Amino acid sequence: MMLPVESLVEGYREVGLVVGLLVGFGFGFVLERAGFGRAPKLAAQFYLYDMTVFKVMFGAIVTAMLGVVVAAGLGLVDLVSLSEGAVSATYVWPMLFGGLLLGAGFIMSGYCPGTSLVGTASGNLDALLTAAGVLLGTLLFGELYPVLEGFYLSGDKGQLFLYQVLGVPPEIVAVAIALMAIGAFVGAEKVEKIMTQRIAVAASVVDEERRSASAPRRLAFGLYGVAGLLAVGALFLPVGQSEAARPVEPVRISPSELARRIIDMPWQLKIVDLRAREACAKERVPGAECVPRETLGNLGLQYSPGTRALVLMDESGPSSVPVEAMGYKGDILLLEGGFGAWRQWALETPEPPGPEVSEAERIAYRFRAAVNGALTGRAAPPPPAAPVQQYVPPKPRKGGGCSG
Amino acid sequence: MENQEQRFWNPYLAGVALGLVLLASFLIMGQGLGASGAVYRFGVAALGAVAPEHVARNPHFSHVVSGGRSALDNFYIFMVVGVFLGGLVSSYAAGRMKVGVRKGPRIGVPARLALAVTGGVLMGFAARLTRGCTSGQALSGGALMSAGSWIFMLAVFAGGYAVAYFVRREWT
Repeated sequence: MMLPVESLVEGYREVGLVVGLLVGFGFGFVLERAGFGRAPKLAAQFYLYDMTVFKVMFGAIVTAMLGVVVAAGLGLVDLVSLSEGAVSATYVWPMLFGGLLLGAGFIMSGYCPGTSLVGTASGNLDALLTAAGVLLGTLLFGELYPVLEGFYLSGDKGQLFLYQVLGVPPEIVAVAIALMAIGAFVGAEKVEKIMTQRIAVAASVVDEERRSASAPRRLAFGLYGVAGLLAVGALFLPVGQSEAARPVEPVRISPSELARRIIDMPWQLKIVDLRAREACAKERVPGAECVPRETLGNLGLQYSPGTRALVLMDESGPSSVPVEAMGYKGDILLLEGGFGAWRQWALETPEPPGPEVSEAERIAYRFRAAVNGALTGRAAPPPPAAPVQQYVPPKPRKGGGCSG
Repeated sequence: MENQEQRFWNPYLAGVALGLVLLASFLIMGQGLGASGAVYRFGVAALGAVAPEHVARNPHFSHVVSGGRSALDNFYIFMVVGVFLGGLVSSYAAGRMKVGVRKGPRIGVPARLALAVTGGVLMGFAARLTRGCTSGQALSGGALMSAGSWIFMLAVFAGGYAVAYFVRREWT
């Protein structure tokens, strides 16, 4: 069985909406129970005497992250397609600047957008006004969108995940984040102890007895430990290995076939140019990404869903599939003769064939001349005229039909 | 009232509970948690009721009403209604539901409310720019190890700490 349940999005959409209501209920309930319906409790995070925000948030991230990785290891869910469906692409600049701005709004209002709703539900007027402000702010952004569009789309990295950036399996990244979180929790408690004594108001916010209780902490850390071991164990499951060790047969593609596929269905291709960046920047196959050979591992090809055929090329090959591409789940095509062959076929003005060529060769020449013209802006000489066949009028049909 | 209040959950257990809610959302619906996107949809719906042509002209407004569906016919609208109900039930059951203004001892009510609105506007604006707020980006994207979500999350904490000094009279 594969999760998520697809039918809840389309066929049984109404059921899905009810699930949304229930998930939201759980979300709001837990936020309120954690104390996030009250601004001073949330704001305390930024004065370091009560780091509940940090603990709850990172605890939730670690729990869900390990849960998803273990579910993926058990084959319940596909990590990459889940991630690409549930998360927006990475846009570096708006995310960095917007994050700073949101952090400033957070400490001014004492809530974040989600907790302002919980605070409103608990009767807090400051939360109600924050929620109203959030609504106005989103509309303000919408009004200004035509002006902001350029910035909104800047630093586009596409769907990008930490395990692709680091080039290590997601299981390892998840366990490393969990370990860092536990270390940070221990550190946070030390800081809390120091700051509670320095800030007078702390006593009214901090629940010292609950904070120093060690049983819940041991339970939570123990859960992370078990989930982390399962996640790492999933790396060694036979399921994962058989997929990784799939034999990769190099399939070659000729320049003309590549050109045809780029024109027909470019969205089904992922074209990667392995030559040095300068050479690739100067001239490349349309739609190709410049990924110098030594940086190919950074693409994390083994984690991409493999829905597109991967086309690889260097100056004259490559002769075999590079190691970093072997885990790619989709088809892998190697450009025959490499970029050199492409340059010769597509970028050099072709010689027209003689008048005695076959019809197939004539069509091939026309196609090549058209590609060359489109890519270089130079017109190739026209092909020789096709031989004109003698016109033979059709014989009049005898009898029958309506014409008679 | 104050002494009838239940205590808050231990933060580590609240974290695990919140993580399980998020995990359920991922595994059942293939979606994370969200709040600001739905608030935006409420805004667009209200604006559309007042000035429909204006909404239709702006691409950022019109894309949430595309496909002939109402801006409110959306998974996340149901989710935030649930968030509100969850907060309502939880605060009532814990004896914490009480009309008032939450603030530190050194600030007056009008100033606190003015900062609340201003902060809200900044967050609403920022959350559209970042394609999600602390729920959609930091929690959900963070759990799926999205690089952009982690950039966002670190920036939120950096922004909060940078401004905390200037509004310290509001809280401490």
